[in-house]
Amino acid sequence: MAQTRGEVLQGTLDLIVLKTLDALGPLHGYGIAVRIQQVSADLLKLNQGTLYPALLRLEQRGWISSKWGVSDNNRKAKYYSLTRSGRKQLLAETESWERMTALMTRLLGRAEGA
Amino acid sequence: MDSLRIFALRLLGVFRKRQLDGELDRELRTHMDALAEENMRRGMNEQEARHAARRQFGGIEQTKESYRDQRGLPFFETLAEDLRYALRMLVKSPGFTLVTILTLALGIGANTGLFSLINSVLLGNLPVPDPQELVVIKYTDARSGEAEEDFSYPMYQALRDKNTVFLNVLTRSGVDFNASYGGQSERAIGEMVSGNYFETLGVQPFLGRLIGPEDDRIPGAHPVAVLSYGYWQRRFGSDPSIVGKNIVLNDNPIRVIGITPPRFYGTEMARNPDIRVPMMMATVFRPVPANRLENPRHRWMTVLARRKPEISVAQARASLDILYHQILAAELQELGAGVNAHDKERALASRIQLEHGNQGFAHLRTEMERPLLLMFSVTGIVLLVACANLANLLLARNAKRKQEISVRLAIGASRARLIRQWLTESLVLSALGGCAGIVVAYWAKTALLGFLPADLSANLQAPMDLRVLVFALLSSLATGLLFGLAPALQLSETGVAAALRADAPSIASGERLFSLRSALIFLQVALSLPLLIGAGLFLHSLRNLRGVNTGFVKENVFLASLNPSMNGYPQERIRSLYDDLLARVRTLPGVRAASFTTSSVISGGWDQESVKVEGYQPGPDENVSPNAAVISPGYFTTLGIPFVEGRDFTEQDTVSGPKVVIINETMAHYFFGSKDPLGRKIGTDDDPKVAPDREIIGVVKDAKYVHLSEAPRRHFYAPMAQEPRLFDMTLQVRTSGDPEKIGDLVRAQVHDLDLNLPLYATTTLEVQIDDSLAEQRLLTWLSSLFGLLATLLASLGLSGVVAFSVARRTREIGIRMALGAQPGDILHHVVSKMGFLVAAGMAVGVAAAYGLSRLLGSMLFEVGAADPLAFAGACFLLGVVAALAAYLPARRATRVDPVVALRYE
Repeated sequence: MAQTRGEVLQGTLDLIVLKTLDALGPLHGYGIAVRIQQVSADLLKLNQGTLYPALLRLEQRGWISSKWGVSDNNRKAKYYSLTRSGRKQLLAETESWERMTALMTRLLGRAEGA
Repeated sequence: MDSLRIFALRLLGVFRKRQLDGELDRELRTHMDALAEENMRRGMNEQEARHAARRQFGGIEQTKESYRDQRGLPFFETLAEDLRYALRMLVKSPGFTLVTILTLALGIGANTGLFSLINSVLLGNLPVPDPQELVVIKYTDARSGEAEEDFSYPMYQALRDKNTVFLNVLTRSGVDFNASYGGQSERAIGEMVSGNYFETLGVQPFLGRLIGPEDDRIPGAHPVAVLSYGYWQRRFGSDPSIVGKNIVLNDNPIRVIGITPPRFYGTEMARNPDIRVPMMMATVFRPVPANRLENPRHRWMTVLARRKPEISVAQARASLDILYHQILAAELQELGAGVNAHDKERALASRIQLEHGNQGFAHLRTEMERPLLLMFSVTGIVLLVACANLANLLLARNAKRKQEISVRLAIGASRARLIRQWLTESLVLSALGGCAGIVVAYWAKTALLGFLPADLSANLQAPMDLRVLVFALLSSLATGLLFGLAPALQLSETGVAAALRADAPSIASGERLFSLRSALIFLQVALSLPLLIGAGLFLHSLRNLRGVNTGFVKENVFLASLNPSMNGYPQERIRSLYDDLLARVRTLPGVRAASFTTSSVISGGWDQESVKVEGYQPGPDENVSPNAAVISPGYFTTLGIPFVEGRDFTEQDTVSGPKVVIINETMAHYFFGSKDPLGRKIGTDDDPKVAPDREIIGVVKDAKYVHLSEAPRRHFYAPMAQEPRLFDMTLQVRTSGDPEKIGDLVRAQVHDLDLNLPLYATTTLEVQIDDSLAEQRLLTWLSSLFGLLATLLASLGLSGVVAFSVARRTREIGIRMALGAQPGDILHHVVSKMGFLVAAGMAVGVAAAYGLSRLLGSMLFEVGAADPLAFAGACFLLGVVAALAAYLPARRATRVDPVVALRYE
């Protein structure tokens, strides 16, 4: 497939956000966006704006919580952090993601071999 | 659980909108600032940095929009927005709003009001547990082929005891009581019920206990009674201590043992007996014939059964039919040689019929089903016409809003979004109309019940229950969708570009649009005309009925009934009481004549008696039972029925003198042809060995006896003095002035003669005749009302369309006039299309009415289904109204000043 800069799959963004917060602790929206861009080495094309509805969705489900704080350069910013049930969700989703990728790898590998 | 919490959070989001919007703004601004700073660190100048940040971030407004959708409840928020907008629009055009709501209120109200009657009369069940298990036991009469429902007591016993398909079988029979308590007596509706009556129905007492099998064992030995809740409230002021006390029924002390629950009315809707006594008391309350409970040939009670749940109605019928024939065969055996082969064969040809008993004995249903459904379809059509009208109104209004609509479309509103908003608007209107309609429905229902004879409407509550309210809701929803759809349909034909073009009413404009509106006009005319024709048919029929030659003079006759036999008086006392009363009434001021009869004319009741006629041999199945009445001297003078020949009864026709009768003309012709009947004899004794012994002393002109619409009946009259037993009698008094005024004087005389003798059914002959026309009158009134309403709506719609088209075509008309068209040409031009539409609608309407009027059949009296008067009258009326409705706005077209019109725009 020619498309190397992947579109973000629905649900994948949720997992990425959860993982980011798990790795770095409480972060504001900009921080999350920067981190995603760094890690994906710009492979992932992300309109940073789409982060915000996703953050709200995760918060409504109770997986992350938010509170207002002050950023490094003295700006008021909303900080998001992972909740206990968010951590559980992350584990569960990671596991299912791994199962899925393993399956896809096996499937595609065999298909190529044949 | 989770989804509930999310919903709650979103709901919160709706209400904290402003605060949350602020927070989101701040959050996004922080993000943008951070992005821009980062970009500047990489060496961009500020403007470039901001541009790049915006690119990286994506659309800010889109983000906000999708964030808001995620945060709140977009469906409801849009709805709230639409509702606000709709209400604003409605407030802005109060005239339109008022007309719409009023139209809907009338339409929905009339439908809901009728539905409340249908709901209780056609859909209502007996208020007892598991009513679907109940069945009414009937049998077909071999001679008439019709279903009969009267059984003898021995037959009932056999059905009850020998069947294998029923849990229980009850029987009941009506009876009238003269009830006294605390020095006051009055007439009460009674019912004699079998001991298992309440057990079979599954009714629990409200107070005390109900009649049980132990109260129904020995004839005449169970002086107990159960009162209905309503009677207990009305007569005893809900005094619980009445239970255990004695009341006097027809001169017998009877102990009240309990009260039935408030909602229970018995086994027949709209007939709610006040007092119930055990069936075994029939020997006391209906002493004649004395062998009432033993005679298998005396059929006088109706039977209702509760079937075993596992047995279907068909199975039960098959099983019961076998049993019924065994019983019949046994009865015939007992009668032995007394029955001839023909009668025997006929008796055995009878078959059992079972009907669903969930409504009990559904006499009211049978009587009212057709008129109710007919009127319901009429109101349904009126609502449709109203819908078409409102659709037309909305179309006209949207045509004025065209500019607004085009702008909305151009700046990106989707069609679905616009339609959704319009539907919200029409649903708001229809909901408001529905609410007002419920009020109208309540009035309508009350008015409808007022049209019914009092004895029928008294127990018919037709409550506005949940089912009725749901009906109102659904019908307003349906109407809202129906008339709201019209603008939506039209929108799908409008292109943005076309719509945005300056709204120039050019010569060809609006033709497509016009066709939807034309279709609505056509529809309205086609629907209204059959209603008008129906109204015409009923009007004609009612006029025929009112004009019927009754054969008697109905004006100035007062009627009242009394029944001293109920008080247990011996025959001599009853006789002298009647004689005394008649003598006293005759001396009252303003009384021109007075007399007694056993059956008063057009009261709906009648007696028939089988006769033998000297020198006349009837065929095997010939009906030789003319109507009969027992009367006092002066009867024919009171009613103004003339004699053809012979004389009236006199005081000299006594019990010891020769027996005499008077017959009517039809009877004279039937039995004697052209021979003179005077001096011939007829007999009424059952025993074939007794020779006819009553001499015909007079022949009177025919009259109407039971209904105004009846064919001539054979009728004979026997004198009171020669009748062995007298029961109830109707007093009829011809007065010189207002007959109602004599009522109190008569009542005082009765009271003076006997304190415990209630006078009942007091009325005048004119009112009695009017009551007999209640159904006809109701149908006539309602169909006229709704026919006119539909016509009015249709003509308003027509008027609106013509006015609209004239307004749009002002310029075209101006050009035509400038080119020399005369006002007449213009008028013709504007109206001709409407004329064609109306004519087409009328043609379809006439065809539909012709097809449907056959269904009215028996509801009409001496009016054919294709009654030319009704058809022509309705077409004429609709034509004139439509012409007026089109002409008035079209006249404006002829006044168009070409100069002004061409300068216009």
